[in-house]
Amino acid sequence: MSDEDFMGDIVERLEWDERKEEDTPLKRMKQVTRRTALTGGAAGIAAMALQACGGSSHKTANTGTGTATASSGGGGGSAAAAIFGPSPKYHFVMVNHVTTNPFFTPTQSGAADACKLLGCSYQWTGSATSNVGQMVTSINNAVAAKADGIAVALISKTSFNQPVAKAMNAGIPVVSYNSDVPTVDRLSYIGQDLFQSGVEMGKKVIGLVPSGEIALFIATPGSLNIQPRIDGAISVLKSHPSIKYHVVATGAQTPQELSTINSWASSHSSAKGMFAVDAGSTQSLGQVLLKQGLYKKGWKGGGYDLTPITQKLIAHGIMEFTIDQQPYLQGFLPILQLYMYKVTQKLTGPATTDTGLKFLTKSTVGPYVSTKSKYEGTSTGPVTKA
Amino acid sequence: MSVASTDTGPAGTTPPAPGPAKAAAPKASINPFKRLLLMKEGSIVVVTVATLIYFAITTPHFFSSQGLQNLLPFFAPFAIIAAGEVFVMINGEIDLSVGGTYLICPFIFNEFTSAHIPLIPAMILAILVCTLVGAINGFFVAYIGINSFVTTLGTLFSLFGITLVMSHDTQIQTPGTSLFGGGTFESVFGNGTYSELFWAIGIVIVLQLALSFTKWGIYTVAVGGNRLGAKEAGINEKRNMMRNFMLCALLAAFVGILEAVRSGSATPDPAQSSELMFQVVAAAVIGGTLLVGGFGTVVGAMIGALFLGIIQDGLVLKGVNANYLYLYQGLAILLAMTINIYIARVRVGAGRG
Repeated sequence: MSDEDFMGDIVERLEWDERKEEDTPLKRMKQVTRRTALTGGAAGIAAMALQACGGSSHKTANTGTGTATASSGGGGGSAAAAIFGPSPKYHFVMVNHVTTNPFFTPTQSGAADACKLLGCSYQWTGSATSNVGQMVTSINNAVAAKADGIAVALISKTSFNQPVAKAMNAGIPVVSYNSDVPTVDRLSYIGQDLFQSGVEMGKKVIGLVPSGEIALFIATPGSLNIQPRIDGAISVLKSHPSIKYHVVATGAQTPQELSTINSWASSHSSAKGMFAVDAGSTQSLGQVLLKQGLYKKGWKGGGYDLTPITQKLIAHGIMEFTIDQQPYLQGFLPILQLYMYKVTQKLTGPATTDTGLKFLTKSTVGPYVSTKSKYEGTSTGPVTKA
Repeated sequence: MSVASTDTGPAGTTPPAPGPAKAAAPKASINPFKRLLLMKEGSIVVVTVATLIYFAITTPHFFSSQGLQNLLPFFAPFAIIAAGEVFVMINGEIDLSVGGTYLICPFIFNEFTSAHIPLIPAMILAILVCTLVGAINGFFVAYIGINSFVTTLGTLFSLFGITLVMSHDTQIQTPGTSLFGGGTFESVFGNGTYSELFWAIGIVIVLQLALSFTKWGIYTVAVGGNRLGAKEAGINEKRNMMRNFMLCALLAAFVGILEAVRSGSATPDPAQSSELMFQVVAAAVIGGTLLVGGFGTVVGAMIGALFLGIIQDGLVLKGVNANYLYLYQGLAILLAMTINIYIARVRVGAGRG
C-alpha cells in the first residue's frame, strides 16, 4: 500500500525532527497518537475513496487518497483538521468514579474513537472505588496540567462545585457525563440519569408484575454507580402497595451473586419476579430463572446491562428485559462536545444531551446477540458477527 | 465431620457449662462431647452447629435438601482457598494476592483455549501459570526478605492490572460452559450441584493429612513456630515457604476456574475480588489458625468457611434487607466468636491449650 508508506514517511520525518527533544511520556504519547491518527486516518480515507470509486481500478483509488491525505497531513494531523481548520492537538481528561468497571469499557472505546476521529487524545482517570476525594484530585491534576477539557461523572451533590469552578475559571471547559448535579457549574451533561433509569425500570416492573412479591437485587448497596438506580425503582414501587418488594444485597463477585439469588429464589416460591440493578445480578437472576425452571412458572425477570449471557437469556425468552444505557455515547459525545467548543473558539457551546435508555426485549435483542462490538463492550473492534 | 455432627446434636440445645470442665483432666474415660471440645477444632464445630440449628429452626427452606444445596457455593470455594492460606499462615506469613490469582486465572484459561488448546490442558496450563505467581511471592518473601504482606499486596495489584489489560476490561464467557449447562467439563469443574463440595472435601482431607503427617507439614509448623530454630535443625525454611505460597496460588487459581465455570462468565473487576481475601483469611482464623503462625488446621478453616457461609446464606433466606445485611453479618460473627472463645477455655482448662 503506497499511501500507507507515504503516511509512514511523514510520521518518520516528524519523529526524526523531534529526536533531540527530551524523551518524556508526553512526547511518546504525542508520537503514538500521531501515528494512530495519521495512519488510521489514511486507511479510513483510502477505504472511503475506494467506495466512492465503486471499487474501480486500484490506481484511481490511490491517487484519490494521495491528495486527501496530503491535505489532512498538512492541516494538523487528522481528518477533522480538513473540516475545522488547523488546531493544536487537544488533550482531554475523563474523570470516572469506577475506572475499572466493565460498564465503562464501551465508554472508553467511545472516547478513544472520538479522539481518533478528531486527532486529539484523552486520559481515563479518577477512582476505582467511587472515592470522591480521588476524583477531585484528578480534576485538580488536570487543571494543573492545563488539560484542554474535562469530562467528569458528578457523583456527589457537593464535592465537585469548587474543583469544577476552578477548572472553568482557568479557562478549561468542563462537561459532566453518566451522572449529573445540575447545580455544578458545568457546560453540559451527557448521559441518562441513573435515578431516572431506575424510575423507568420501576414502571416496567409494574407493567410486568401488577401485584405480588418481587426481589430487587443490588450487588453492593451504597455503590454510587448502582444505588441511584435502585432508589429510582423503589420510588415508583412505593406507590404500588400491591407489589411487595424485597431489597436483597447479592455480594461483590458474580459467583457470589449467583449463590445469593439461587437461595432467595428457592426460599420465596410464591414470588412473581426478580429484578436487578447491576450487570452481575441481572445475568445471575436470569441463570436462576433458567436453572430452577421459574420462567416456565411465569416469573418475570429483568435488569441492567448487556453481558453476553444476559443477551442470550433474553433472546431465549427466559427473562423479559435489560436496560442499555448507551455507554459508548457517554464517552464519544463528551469528547466531541469538548473538541467542538475548543476548535470553534466557544462559538458552538456544549449542549446537554440525553443519551437515552434502551429497553432490550426478546424482539429487539437480536442484533446484540448476533454481533460483537466495542459499542456494547463485547469485543474491542467494530461490529462483527458473534 | 460425621462424628462431629452426631456428637454435638444435643450441644446446640443445652448451653455448654464451662464450670465442671475446668477440673477435668484429660483421661481415657471422658465423654465424647468433652473429647470433641478437646480437639483443636472443637469449639468452632460447636458454634457452627449451633448456628446451623438456629437457622434451621427459625428460617423455613434453610434445612431442606434444596436449601443445603444452595448453601454449598457459599462455603466450598472459600474452604479450598483457605486450605492453602492456612499453610502460608502457619509459616507466619500471609498471602493477600489470592484475590488476584483467583481473578486472573479464568482469563488465562480463556487465552489458552482461544489458542485452540483443548479444555483440560488449557485449564492445567492456566493453573500452572498462576502457580508461578506463588513462586514469585515465595521468592520475594523467603529469598529477598520482603514482608509477605507487602510482597503479596504488590502481586495483588499487579495481577489486577494484568487482568484488566489482557481482558480489555471486557467480560468473557467461560470456555467449556454453555447457557443451558450439562456438559461433562462444566459438571465436573464447578457447575455440577456437588462438584465444588467434592473438590473441597477432597482437597481439605489431602492437605490436612499432608499437614499432620508428612515432612512438608511438620516442617511448615516448625518454620512458623521458630524459624531460626527450624533452620538450625536443618530445615530448608526458604524452600518450605516457597512451596506453601505456590500451593496457595494454585488453589486460588483452581477456585477461580471453578467459580467462573459455575457462573458461566468471568468479569475483570478488581474492586470486587479483593473481598475474597478477607473471607479466606477470616475462615482460616475463625477455624483456629493463628495470624502469628506456628499453628493452624485445614479442617478448622473449612469449618470456619462453613460458619461464614451459613451466616450469609441464612441471613439472605431470612429476607434481611440489603442495607442491614452487613450489620447483621458483622454482629453475628462477633457474637459467635465470643461464644467460641468461652468454649475454647474448656480446652485450656484441660491443659491442652
